[in-house]
Amino acid sequence: MTSPEHDGVHESQPLSAADVFDAAWEEKVRSAMASTGWNADLAIQAARGALDVLAGGLTEDEFQSRLHDAYLREFGVDLRPRTEEEMEAAALELDTAAGAVALPVVDSRAAAAGEAPVAVTARGASAHPTVSRRTAIAVAGGGIAALMVGDLLGARARQAEAQTPGHGSGHAPTGPTNGAGNGAANGKHKVQMGMVIDLERCDGCLMCVSACKKAYGLQDGVHWLYVLAYKEPDKPNNVNLLVRPCQHCSNAPCVKVCPTGARHRRSDGIVLTNYDVCFGCRYCQVSCPYGVNYFGWEDPKDAGGGFTGERKDGRGKSVIGAPPRGVMGKCIYCPGRQDSIHQEPSTHCSVSCPMGVIHYGDLNDPESEPNRYLNKRVADSGGKLSTFRLLDDLGTRPNVIYIGHRPSRRAEPTANPVKYEDWGLVNERRTVLEGPEPWFKRMFGR
Amino acid sequence: MTEADRTKTILRSIHGRPSRRYYIIMALALLGIIWYGQAYVFQLQNGMIVLGIADWGSSGGIPWGLYVGSFIWWVGIAHGGIIVSAAVRLFRLNTYKPVARLAELLTLIALSVAAFYIVVHLGRPDRVVTSMLRGWPTTVHTSPLAWDVTVITLYFVLTATYLYLTIRADIHSLKMELPRIFSPLYAVLLIGYREDEKKKIEGMAWWLALAVIILAPLFLHGGVIPWLFALLPGQPGWFGAAQGPQFLTIALSSALGGVMIVAYLFRRLYGWEELLDDNVFRGLSRWLALFAMLFLWLQLQKIITGVSIAPDSIHTATRATVSEPLYWLALALVGGALGWFGLQMLFPQLFTVERTVVAAALPVMATLIEKFLFVVEGMMHPVFDLYQGVPGYYTPSWIELSSVVGAISLVVLFFLIVSKVIPVIEVEVEHDE
Ligand code: SF4
Repeated sequence: MTSPEHDGVHESQPLSAADVFDAAWEEKVRSAMASTGWNADLAIQAARGALDVLAGGLTEDEFQSRLHDAYLREFGVDLRPRTEEEMEAAALELDTAAGAVALPVVDSRAAAAGEAPVAVTARGASAHPTVSRRTAIAVAGGGIAALMVGDLLGARARQAEAQTPGHGSGHAPTGPTNGAGNGAANGKHKVQMGMVIDLERCDGCLMCVSACKKAYGLQDGVHWLYVLAYKEPDKPNNVNLLVRPCQHCSNAPCVKVCPTGARHRRSDGIVLTNYDVCFGCRYCQVSCPYGVNYFGWEDPKDAGGGFTGERKDGRGKSVIGAPPRGVMGKCIYCPGRQDSIHQEPSTHCSVSCPMGVIHYGDLNDPESEPNRYLNKRVADSGGKLSTFRLLDDLGTRPNVIYIGHRPSRRAEPTANPVKYEDWGLVNERRTVLEGPEPWFKRMFGR
Repeated sequence: MTEADRTKTILRSIHGRPSRRYYIIMALALLGIIWYGQAYVFQLQNGMIVLGIADWGSSGGIPWGLYVGSFIWWVGIAHGGIIVSAAVRLFRLNTYKPVARLAELLTLIALSVAAFYIVVHLGRPDRVVTSMLRGWPTTVHTSPLAWDVTVITLYFVLTATYLYLTIRADIHSLKMELPRIFSPLYAVLLIGYREDEKKKIEGMAWWLALAVIILAPLFLHGGVIPWLFALLPGQPGWFGAAQGPQFLTIALSSALGGVMIVAYLFRRLYGWEELLDDNVFRGLSRWLALFAMLFLWLQLQKIITGVSIAPDSIHTATRATVSEPLYWLALALVGGALGWFGLQMLFPQLFTVERTVVAAALPVMATLIEKFLFVVEGMMHPVFDLYQGVPGYYTPSWIELSSVVGAISLVVLFFLIVSKVIPVIEVEVEHDE
């Protein structure tokens, strides 16, 4: 994030000042945030606006829209609660959070937050029956401002720290990435989670595949992340590998064709299926050119899979884990991990890969881990690195950047170096999709 | 035939005890419905795993199969049916007047069957209304499936209105002769009826027919239905601007064939040789010949452009199509019908109604095969074919196959019942000015 953009907030319309947040309070906020480089004005404005809502001087919508652009400039996302449930959830969260409205507490625990506003809405999912809508928004808004200060402090501190071992290059950013993210260029920072996958380092061990299956209780043969092996006709002795998660396209056909809106794109660019809404028409699956969807043909428990963890992401939508029967599933970019305030952006596959092949983060942020990795690889290769996005000629604008050989149209599938069966995995799901026998077969034999 | 005689003949279907044949057909239809009913319950209990479909990609299957193929087939019959009926009204093709209402009824039931296919093909049919409505305001901008459901609903309303408008006069003039047990139904149908509304109704029906003639071919069966497939980026077998015309010729072939079969069965069942005379069948067969020819012509376009120097993925998909024996069977059936109709035109003495109807049934079967292959092959040969599991394989399960029997049985049952309640041939003859 570049600093000139921060100044934009000063130009936005001044809010009617609330006396509760006096000069002394303001001073406190400023000094607390001074070292962070984050925008103290925005925090103060948000807190005051929230109070105005409470006092009736500002409508909820005005409050939401007035600072929306500033939020986007600052964080790339605006995840402040908008719906009734989100507000109530946030209010509940904040009821218990330290010093909800009044005091901006600088809490070292909150310091691990990835994106500050996410942290606030992240955990509270249950509704609070006694909070009115107006109170909720005010409390939430004010509280966000308060927590924001704490979270941002931490976020900044964390960025200054050395990166995670194993993945980190530790080097300072080497300038802008090669146009890594989609739609990053035009001034506003819009978060787009994505991956840089270094196929040149992949040895096809399938640890990532197995980790994903385990984490989400996926059924046999369901590979949200799949490793394909193929050969090029001109080099028949070379086995190439292609690690295929969902591409979380910016122009995702599956989102477009879904007739229920169950398949959707989150504000951080992750494409998800709302399990409570999907009615299982499989149009998303048919429209996806990559073949990343795996349907709930049967009850996951029947198939020895099943998922018992938290199904809801930070917004309170059921999107995590193996899909229930009759509903569509696919790679979810681990939204639970992204929404948790205690984690670096990461996925089960990225952390489980022993070769450091998968790098996950905000592709639109030049300082994100995947972009720094990519830049380093570009630099180390003397600018001769082959990178590509899969089937990007179809206009899907996929958000996985591959380093390595781009499969040609003539490429042919071949056997994997490490077999799926070696891990106790099933390669072709079709072979295990056998339903029970109908009564007449049971009665009359086969 | 005097008008009174005509009316009496038409009312034959309503009056009198149903024949033994009627009961036998009804029993068979019920059996077919019950058979699929239990199959569907089995599917509901165990999940869609009991079907032959699976995921495409690494899994080695395809996610859409006979259910979707049948869905398009029935929609095609429905759209073709209403086009036939609208054309009769609009262009005053009075020879075919006796089949107009049959075609409308066929449209209504075929649309219902299509809707039924959408529902049984869903993983969570219980959510069909809630999820659809919830998303509709946003999904209708981009989702062809949302367009389809919208337009199909619209067409159902249009067809029902059309039928309703044209049936009121008949019911009114026959009130005394219709079975008394259904009188509440007739009363509802006649709400607000006035003797002098006839002229106005005719005008309205004409405008509706005009709307159908313009919208159905251009935007419905030549539009949103093929767009369901032709707009997707990853399946070259479905891609193509000619998909619309192709779908339309298929729909009209299957619908004309369907109308001829239905008309023939009624003719046999109620001895309606005079009402549904040879000329009706002779004329319909000529139209069918025309559309069968267009059907073959468009398939030729597809094959020729696909197997020559087409882009790789289109080439692969077309090659797969032409190496599929079932595809050639479908073409042969259509070609056979076309050949026979041609012979009949050259040598009129060859004509019998029976032969014509048998020939007309060939394209009906062919179009079901073609629709099925279209769906399956499109999924089997995607652009991204680097998977070991691509092309996937698919054999329709006994449940999916049963659905075809169930759906046809439902249509038969519908006609059996309807023919006892309302006159299925228009009694009111339009007196041309
Ligand atoms: S299967 Fe579910 S997510 Fe996919 S298109 Fe249908 S309703 Fe949408």
